[in-house]
Amino acid sequence: MAMDVVLSAQGLTKTYGAGKDALQVLGGISFAVNRGEFVSVVGPSGCGKTTLLFAIAGLQGVTSGTVTFNGRPVTAPPKGVAVVFQDYSRSLFPWKNNRDNVAFGMARIQGLSAAQKRDKAQEMLDAVGLAGFADKYPWQLSGGMQQRVAIARGLASQSELLLLDEPLAAVDAQTRADMQDLLLDLAIRFKQTCVLVTHDVEEAVYMADRVVVLTRRPTVVDHEIVIELGKKRDQITTREDPRFLAARHDVMTSIRGQRAHAPASAA
Amino acid sequence: MDGFSAFALLLRFRALVSFLIIVAVWQLVAALGLAPEKYFPGIPAIVSGFLGMVANGELAAAEWRTLLRAMLGLAGASLLGVGLAILSDISPAFRRGFAPIAALIQPIPPAAVVPMAVFMLGLGPKLYAFIIILVTVWPPYFNGVAALASVSDIQIRSGQMLGLSRWQILRQIKLPAAMPEIFAGIRYASTISLIAVVVAEMLAGHDGLGFLLVRKAFAIRIPEVYALMFVCAANGLVLNAIVNAARWQLAGWHLRMTGQPA
Amino acid sequence: MSLSRRQESLRGLILPVAILLAWQVLAWRASTPLFPGPWQVTLSIWKFYPQIVGQIGYTLMRAASGFLVAAALMIPLGILLGRLKTVGAIVEPIMDMLATLPPPAVIPVVMLFAGTGDAAKISIIAYAAAVPLLMNTYEASKTLHPMANLVARSLRFSRLETMLRIDLPASLPMIATGLRLAVASALLVSVTAEMLLATNGIGVFIQRQQENFQIANGLAAIAFISIVGLIINNLVFQLEKRWLFWHYRSSDTHGNG
Ligand SMILES: Nc1ncnc2c1ncn2[C@@H]1O[C@H](COP(=O)(O)OP(=O)(O)O)[C@@H](O)[C@H]1O
Ligand SMILES: [Mg+2]
Repeated sequence: MAMDVVLSAQGLTKTYGAGKDALQVLGGISFAVNRGEFVSVVGPSGCGKTTLLFAIAGLQGVTSGTVTFNGRPVTAPPKGVAVVFQDYSRSLFPWKNNRDNVAFGMARIQGLSAAQKRDKAQEMLDAVGLAGFADKYPWQLSGGMQQRVAIARGLASQSELLLLDEPLAAVDAQTRADMQDLLLDLAIRFKQTCVLVTHDVEEAVYMADRVVVLTRRPTVVDHEIVIELGKKRDQITTREDPRFLAARHDVMTSIRGQRAHAPASAA
Repeated sequence: MDGFSAFALLLRFRALVSFLIIVAVWQLVAALGLAPEKYFPGIPAIVSGFLGMVANGELAAAEWRTLLRAMLGLAGASLLGVGLAILSDISPAFRRGFAPIAALIQPIPPAAVVPMAVFMLGLGPKLYAFIIILVTVWPPYFNGVAALASVSDIQIRSGQMLGLSRWQILRQIKLPAAMPEIFAGIRYASTISLIAVVVAEMLAGHDGLGFLLVRKAFAIRIPEVYALMFVCAANGLVLNAIVNAARWQLAGWHLRMTGQPA
Repeated sequence: MSLSRRQESLRGLILPVAILLAWQVLAWRASTPLFPGPWQVTLSIWKFYPQIVGQIGYTLMRAASGFLVAAALMIPLGILLGRLKTVGAIVEPIMDMLATLPPPAVIPVVMLFAGTGDAAKISIIAYAAAVPLLMNTYEASKTLHPMANLVARSLRFSRLETMLRIDLPASLPMIATGLRLAVASALLVSVTAEMLLATNGIGVFIQRQQENFQIANGLAAIAFISIVGLIINNLVFQLEKRWLFWHYRSSDTHGNG
């Protein structure tokens, strides 16, 4: 397969603070994302996933290393990258109704009239199953519904790359399963290249074509594993598939193995 | 010292730094003659004007009167405002009757009342008490009413379960819970009380900072005018400090809960 | 239901009526024009309302001009200062210092610079309105959640776009608080300035009545001021309900479906 690399990270390190308070979060992370791929990045809470995602999105600088998007180095948020934030409820604007919130994702897209953007926003809300809620405000919706508005905004900009920061961490288990399927479905439908950052091993494996497994801080890539389950996934059969279980075992072992060492190295 | 810690130090003493910046800019403007010197004296002239008023005792007398009026007025208005708020909380009929009165009196600026009140109350303490209270009760009152009404049901129910009487619930649960918001009102009231005193002194007084300010202005004693403005602002700081001390006593839990780490 | 409603509002009338009656009785007992009762004040309102309305018009025109100047300058400045952390940190204590200075205390100085005309009065009013506007806008802009900024950056907004499309609407609730304080401050300073720098306006009217011992007329003017104030407050309240409903309702119904 001819690989068309959209995004690549090379040797990213990040240290917060200086002197005594210095905290090295990223210890030299490298990985790449190909066009059309769904990549999960999995690591324990606090290992620097948000930091990594912000670096990729050009929202926050790194201490060393480079990020390239379509071959060009990223220093500021590049055109063609959209982000769905972990803190989604705050990322929506309470003074805009849901349709306008989604249309806001297209604010910098040229060649679309305001009416076209609104139509497009409505279409995206339909796609995430919120057809009847376009005129409602985010604060009138439940957490899971707000998250879907945020996802609709991310998709609406039709960016080449969609970055998702633990989008499902704060919703209940049933909603999470539904949203996983919805996200996968949308990714296939819009041929959307996605990077999903999560601490949930099962979710990482279930969603991805490829999983990038991180270590503890200072975080590096432990290893990568390709998930050979095809694009179509199913909450019941996929999760029982031996290949799914094997991948889950592999990732889980590497993450738990690190945890087993944790007390020793902390002491 | 590296740039980072120099910057931190700068922020630490930023009140002092910005005060020095004001003084420096002021002196620069005066020295370059950007404003007419007659109306915009340099810092040394202002300081000597200030010292002159200190030396002849004018300043101390005026300052003492103004500060005392503002403090007593603020204390009286706060007590009255909280009292009215409690009354409104106990009696819905009172609340409904008093609400339109409050809505009508609250927008009246103190300046409008001074000339009329002079006839009824003379130029003495009664005038100041009336003017200050008339314009200063409202923030503690409005905040008090809102805060007492929004004390959480669960807290009140817990009090009832403990067998507290209505009065005990008010004293031990509702008032403490409402205190932070009441103090936000009192803080604002402290600014208004100083404004009311200065306005009353300017328009009807024969003493106090407001009176002195107008007299010096009409006598074209410009450095003294600026010095007096500075003293007025300093009084605002003093009142603020007093309110903060009282707030720490009565609503300190809230401050500790919401910010200042122990 | 509607009966008890009516009964309740009738009971609410007891206090105001009792106060008016007590005032009237005291006025009768005093029986001096220096202590008029509500009845005399009503008569004065009837006789003088054209004149009073005219004078309040002057006052309001100036108050509105000063207020608009302050709003046009201070809201953008406040948002900008909130964004520029370092400059803001240095300017903040200056704002605090200005905030403790009672605005009427600047009247004598402005009088020296600008005389006693409309320009002088409007500058004083603008100053008085500027302080609460700047403080509240700055505070709102400074304390904006960083998430708003992240979203703006990921949408690749310019500084100006971010300020206009995100910072401004997000700061509106606190700006509204500043606006309310600024309105009160502008009215207060207008009347004070008129009394010190007399030409026209309701402050001058009241002063004339005082000089002629016409207390009832003065009180009539005060009644008008209070009603105008009430109308303005109501207007502000209506506008807030209309434009800031999302703020009040989103804090009520936080996160339910
Ligand atoms: N701006 C910052 N300044 C200092 N420390 C930070 C900052 N942002 C994150 N950290 C720290 O870096 C570590 C990784 O944070 P984050 O990237 O949010 O982790 P994750 O998203 O994996 O939970 C945490 O220990 C966090 O406390
Ligand atoms: Mg995170």
